[in-house]
Amino acid sequence: MNASVLTTGTVVENSQIEGSYLTDGYTIRSWLLTTDHKRIALLYLGAITIFFFIGGIAAALVRFNLIVPEGLLGSAEAYNRLFTMHGVVMVWFFLVPAVPVTLGNFLIPLMLGARDLAFPRLNLFSWYLFMLGGAVTLWALFAGGLDTGWTFYTPLSTMYSNSHVVLAAVGIFISGFSSIATGLNFIVSIHRLRAPGMTWYRMPVFLWSLYSLSVLLVLATPVLAITLLLLVMERVFHVGVFDPAIGGDPLLFQHLFWFYSHPAVYMMILPGFGVVSEIIPAFSRKRIFGYKFVVWASVSIAVISFFVWGHHMFVAGISLYSAVLFSILSYLVAVPSAIKIFNWLGTMHKGYIHFDAPMLYALGFIGLFTIGGLTGLWVAALAADVHLTQTYFVVAHFHYIMVGGMVSAFFGGLHFWWPKITGRMYPEMWARIAALIMFIGFNLTFFPQFILGYLGMPRRYYAYSPDFQVLNVLSSAGATILAAAYLLPLGYLLWSLMYGERAPANPWGATGLEWQTSSPPPTVNFIETPVVTEAPYNYPRPESIAKQHV
Amino acid sequence: MSAQIWPLLRCWLLLLLLGGIEIALSYLPLGRALRPLLMIPAGLMIIAVAVGFMEIRRGSVLMRAFALGALFWLLILLGLGSADPLTRTDYPVSGVQVK
Amino acid sequence: MSSTVYHDFQYASPSHQAETAAVGMWLFLATEVLFFGGLLLSWIYARHFNQLGFDAGAHETKLWIGTLNTGILITSSFVYALGLAFIRVGNVRRLIQCCVVTLLLGLVFLALKFGLEWRNDFANHLFPAASDFKIIGAAQGGAKLFFLFYFIATGLHGVHMLVGVGLLLWIIWRAQRRQFCALYHTPVHAVGLYWSFVDIVWLTLYPLIYLVGSR
Repeated sequence: MNASVLTTGTVVENSQIEGSYLTDGYTIRSWLLTTDHKRIALLYLGAITIFFFIGGIAAALVRFNLIVPEGLLGSAEAYNRLFTMHGVVMVWFFLVPAVPVTLGNFLIPLMLGARDLAFPRLNLFSWYLFMLGGAVTLWALFAGGLDTGWTFYTPLSTMYSNSHVVLAAVGIFISGFSSIATGLNFIVSIHRLRAPGMTWYRMPVFLWSLYSLSVLLVLATPVLAITLLLLVMERVFHVGVFDPAIGGDPLLFQHLFWFYSHPAVYMMILPGFGVVSEIIPAFSRKRIFGYKFVVWASVSIAVISFFVWGHHMFVAGISLYSAVLFSILSYLVAVPSAIKIFNWLGTMHKGYIHFDAPMLYALGFIGLFTIGGLTGLWVAALAADVHLTQTYFVVAHFHYIMVGGMVSAFFGGLHFWWPKITGRMYPEMWARIAALIMFIGFNLTFFPQFILGYLGMPRRYYAYSPDFQVLNVLSSAGATILAAAYLLPLGYLLWSLMYGERAPANPWGATGLEWQTSSPPPTVNFIETPVVTEAPYNYPRPESIAKQHV
Repeated sequence: MSAQIWPLLRCWLLLLLLGGIEIALSYLPLGRALRPLLMIPAGLMIIAVAVGFMEIRRGSVLMRAFALGALFWLLILLGLGSADPLTRTDYPVSGVQVK
Repeated sequence: MSSTVYHDFQYASPSHQAETAAVGMWLFLATEVLFFGGLLLSWIYARHFNQLGFDAGAHETKLWIGTLNTGILITSSFVYALGLAFIRVGNVRRLIQCCVVTLLLGLVFLALKFGLEWRNDFANHLFPAASDFKIIGAAQGGAKLFFLFYFIATGLHGVHMLVGVGLLLWIIWRAQRRQFCALYHTPVHAVGLYWSFVDIVWLTLYPLIYLVGSR
């Protein structure tokens, strides 16, 4: 049952690579000056893949160092620069952009039934800003890097660090404007470019998630911008608002920084929620359970995420009263996330489940995100946080969400929409193997870190007590498995571009407007503007499938 | 055309008036803690610009939603962000030279 | 100016696109509110912890320049809004005149602020990074914080004014090429929103800098 009716024109069943956006211009100019959201999505995909591998190499070196208690790299300074590089690249140049700029850019107009985003030239400009910011940041990192951690705390960053703080801050500042432009484009597009008949409650959950994400992008990122500016001013002029010697407050930096960075972590995960919310109904052949709860949960997460930033500062010296307030609010923000988990489980219940690779990634997401989310509650408790903060417990907590959750969701989404984007099917068996290896490698890498943190191993230390070695070795071993799991998709996805089976318009039999156009789509997305007449996820009732399906 | 000009002129005069009031109020001997109340006339002037020159009431619901949203989040930043310094206990530090 | 107004292919009509552009500008202005908002938080912190020194710094500001500049900006917003009203009835000539007046007012503001006031402040040793900062003693820290806020805030505001000046020149240039008419003048509207917003930022900074510190 389709969720839309095309007024004229046919749903093209066979792949149409020859007449698609991919072949609409072969010159470099047609790619670098494109305003087609689909091509821009691919430009971004190339960029974030490179950043992912740079951040990953930094992580590999970090884990390599931690194999022996004295630190295999032999240098605390080098170690500091490596974990900073890992954090900076992964946060700002992979996790925050990943799903929105690739899958979001590609799919939002398609899911809306529109021909492009509201501001296509702004979209292209945002890519250039991203590349410029990335280039400047990479220059900072390769010129020697910085040792402040991705969190840039003062006064180390402003007064004492002997590293490329200003350059890195400038790079991140520039890339922030890319985020703001993207978020603005998404919000305006979702409000203004919906196809006839597409009411808010007929939109797929992915659009609600990206909308919520975009609210975070446009409202939080400007605060990061001013914070970085103030930091650079202080570093350059040796006097600033964070300087206690003149009555300034180093905690002001942390408040401003986390006002952005806490919503930033929700920026990273909300698109993941959206992807999983598309995959699970498709591979359970069942409409999403509790649609309104799911979509309003995304919106509530976006709103409440702005109220909890102080939980990163419990032991920094903030007042007890504000700490209690932030702790309570942090418990509140967990509720909508938990609601979603139950919605996904409810969707699968009595569904007809297919364990294709996207579904494996989505299932992994549910498990790993749940662990990550629950452990967040532990550190949100003031008394527990006194012991757990700045230990590996926190590191494991956020990696369970970011890597176990978000990266799994990204790979899941990439596989799910790969046929739509490229017109090719990827090799299913290899994809399933990679998903399983990723799950195993991930848990081996990060579960020991919960224990390490609980036992007291501090984070960001290049050397540690010998008692912790076994767990560290397990973690580093896991990291090599994880690395293999990331390299596999790089291999077979690239292979599929040339030798993969041609994909039909709707290989998964999923609902959604994007599946009603050819794989890959033509430049204008739809030959005729679709008209939406039905609710989303309009899968037939499970009972009728069980009888039909062979 | 004059039907369009008059409202704009009125708004301009209102702004000058409010500005004058704001300056006059600043000469009152308000205590240090109360001085920030001078932001109230400033707030009124901002509303006047938004309504009179930016025509926020003529715009769509969406534009108003964005403006109000921005204001709401600004208040969260300033309000929740001030919660910490306003409730901190300052312990006296001895033997430290503050420049 | 031809009588046909076009629209991009993802829009249903020219008015759909025009309204979307205005919506987009309002959203952009919302981001700017948060940008300056971080700066406002730093004002709150600095003043809260250093009231004496902060106000000592405020004492050194030149009220007459700030007040004159406030009047100039308010008037410039008025004049631009007038220009928008004129192009709505198709009067391109008046639009250009209004934009030119707005531009001149903006340039006067910048001249007063940076050519006169800032130069004065530097001459009076009020730049906080200078080794011979004017205010000494217990109030020095707070005064430095005040002037940090002052220079950064007015500097950023000035950058936004410069962008506004650039946008005004662009509007004038396009208007002279008869690219605007009663049916189409979306950029004029959008730039007007931006210009009024920069005015609003100044209306916020003015009392924080010139009035709140005890006189």
